Amino acid sequence: MSIAPITPPAVPEIAGVSAAERPAAKPELAGSFSKALSEAHAAENRATDAAERFAKGDPGMGIHEVVIASEKANIAVRYATTLKNKALEAYRELMNTQV
Amino acid sequence: MSTMDFFTAMEVSASGLSAERTRMNVAASNLANAQTTQAAGGGPYRRRDVVLQSADVPGATGTPFAQAVRGVAVAQIAQDAAPPRLEYDPGHPQANAQGYVAYPNVNPVEEMVDMITASRAYEAGITSMTTAVNMAERALGIGR
Repeated sequence: MSIAPITPPAVPEIAGVSAAERPAAKPELAGSFSKALSEAHAAENRATDAAERFAKGDPGMGIHEVVIASEKANIAVRYATTLKNKALEAYRELMNTQV
Repeated sequence: MSTMDFFTAMEVSASGLSAERTRMNVAASNLANAQTTQAAGGGPYRRRDVVLQSADVPGATGTPFAQAVRGVAVAQIAQDAAPPRLEYDPGHPQANAQGYVAYPNVNPVEEMVDMITASRAYEAGITSMTTAVNMAERALGIGR
């Protein structure tokens, strides 16, 4: 009667993550965040511009255009904030890793 | 734009709102001038009609859906070619040799219907806008 030797279990590849992809992850997140920030900034500028034009009595600027522009700015800012929160969350998760 | 999809729906709704606002303005103009016997260019006021056409969505040009998803724009504000309404009123300063006064070809009942239609369509546009905004907000709340 023979006893099979104990072999170390093979470490499986983490699905979807290859070595080549890992270094690209950080600049991608930073890039999308800065893009979202600049989008939010542009949307805010457009909202301010719309409000100013409406206040000046521009006939091409209706009430709904002003409200829509500020709503877009709201969404863009919240999008940027959400990205920021996700990034911070991931960072904290990493920093709290028990060694 | 990463938030483009929701903004496209908002742009389309916004163009619809602008179109309905124009229709409202024109209906108000027609109602206000229902008795105007003297307009610019001579003759009574002529009823105005809004002609709408589909238009590109701003910001969506170049995307695969640019031709599929269309906004709306006012093509022109046309004058109704229907003849003016003649009423017998010899004492009126604008009466012709036979004593008839040419009144605008405006039917106030029709204008009221147009106005209600514009108002309801505006509400519909706001509903689709609100839905698009809600969808964007729900998307931002994923995982929270």
